[in-house]
Amino acid sequence: MAVSPMLNMKDRTAIAGAGNSVYGRRLMRSPIDLAADALAAALDDAGLGRADLDGLVVSFGTPIGADGDTIAQVLGLKLRAFNQTWAHGRFTASCIQWAALMVAAGMASAVACMASVSFSGLRKPAMGGAGDSEGAREAGGSHGQDPAYGMTSPGAGAALVARRYFERYGATARDLAAIPVAFRKHAALNPGAMMREPMSIDDHQRSRFICAPLRLLDYCLINDGAACVIVTSAERARDLKKPPVYIGGMQPLPAGREEFIWAYPGFGVLQQTVADYDAGLQPVYKMADVAPKDVDALFSYDAFSILPWIALERFGFCKPGEAAGFTAGGRIELGGALPMNTNGGLLSEGHIMAWNHQVEIVRQLRGECGARQIKDAALIQWANCYGDSLIYHR
Amino acid sequence: MKMANPNYSKPLPAISDLNRPYWDGLKNHQLRLQKCAACATIWSPPAPLCPRCWSREIVWTDLCGRGRVNSWVIFHQSYFRGFEGDLPYNVAEVELDEGPRLLTNLVGVDNAAIRAGMRVEIVFDEVTEAITLAKFRPLAE
Repeated sequence: MAVSPMLNMKDRTAIAGAGNSVYGRRLMRSPIDLAADALAAALDDAGLGRADLDGLVVSFGTPIGADGDTIAQVLGLKLRAFNQTWAHGRFTASCIQWAALMVAAGMASAVACMASVSFSGLRKPAMGGAGDSEGAREAGGSHGQDPAYGMTSPGAGAALVARRYFERYGATARDLAAIPVAFRKHAALNPGAMMREPMSIDDHQRSRFICAPLRLLDYCLINDGAACVIVTSAERARDLKKPPVYIGGMQPLPAGREEFIWAYPGFGVLQQTVADYDAGLQPVYKMADVAPKDVDALFSYDAFSILPWIALERFGFCKPGEAAGFTAGGRIELGGALPMNTNGGLLSEGHIMAWNHQVEIVRQLRGECGARQIKDAALIQWANCYGDSLIYHR
Repeated sequence: MKMANPNYSKPLPAISDLNRPYWDGLKNHQLRLQKCAACATIWSPPAPLCPRCWSREIVWTDLCGRGRVNSWVIFHQSYFRGFEGDLPYNVAEVELDEGPRLLTNLVGVDNAAIRAGMRVEIVFDEVTEAITLAKFRPLAE
């Protein structure tokens, strides 16, 4: 099959501003209210006004978050272009990629990309059980939901991957504790993080099972909040208030029979084949003209502790089955060779569909992170177990 | 097999035109999946065409009902009221001898005794008048 070369998007666009609302449980504020805080903060950070904004890309939306059209109406925006993904956490990079393409195509000049969520505003839980509309999808939920057998919730899909991982590669649930323990250490240095009390490996091992082999401390937080970044052309970003954070590389989100949201092709869950996965040099590195060894810090979707392991292997930071050894001994902690999720992640800062991670990446590259600043951070990657990625640099 | 329980309170599968032959098969104690008449691929979940070669020449074929455990989880959290009395309950992914994998519950085995690769065979669980679920139990070999 002939594949057209991708438009070279290296350094054509940049993040010009980043902002967020407060994150917390039971904030008793609506998603549009929280969205207003994040959007205003991001515009102010960029030195842009409301009238400069002509594009919006939203991930999530009803029933947990605010939708793009109502955000625009209620907040009095005048947009040339808006777009939205379905209520799912995996579209963060996709939204930023769309925004960059919209800017490159001249469809908009300043695009806010964001999610605003209020889990505590729901009448019944939406992440499992009768309120989980995914379980009723034709052909099943995207995390393997199959309610007739009691299979429900995204975490259960992650538990299926974790068990398969342990069986295939011999790692243990105790090895996996390195992920939530590291991110909790980072959250302790982040005044905006929701969970800042110290956590040990033993604390993790003593926490109750939710869906074994995963325990409570393998699960991310469920909370309220909003976070936003503003995408403009690189040229325009250079004239704005803060130094640009360039989008140096992008890799889209794949789909198909070989894909399961929490596992790379060949992993062997649901209908995936069983094969040896070889990351090779992933397209995002080719566009950005860098290699994994050039990455100063890695951020990754961590709704469940197993997911960063899968991401590390999917992008070639280590080979399949090596993530337990790779993440042991502090390598992914601040001061280690590859710090990950220095905000504390979804596991300990808060679950803003990883828009909080994008905000943190921008602040790290500008040197604004205080006690948790990565020394000389120049190039940071966003890369996920489900295969999409962005490379940001100063 | 036990009698269908009129007070069955667990979620039931949504029957569609595509998957009706699968559920009709289970009701008749037959495990069937779609097979492509052109390339012989057998797959799940049901599709309007062969996901490998896009042929629309599809037959429903009887399977042997045996397989092995590929992965499994144990629910300790209550999500559905109907499953509360079963906590902690297992959900397993069984790889059928013909290749496709099904999510299911393992019966006749302690949760702590479930192992990857364990050989299992189908048990037809008539949960309501209309619905029979495909569950699996360890295969005596």
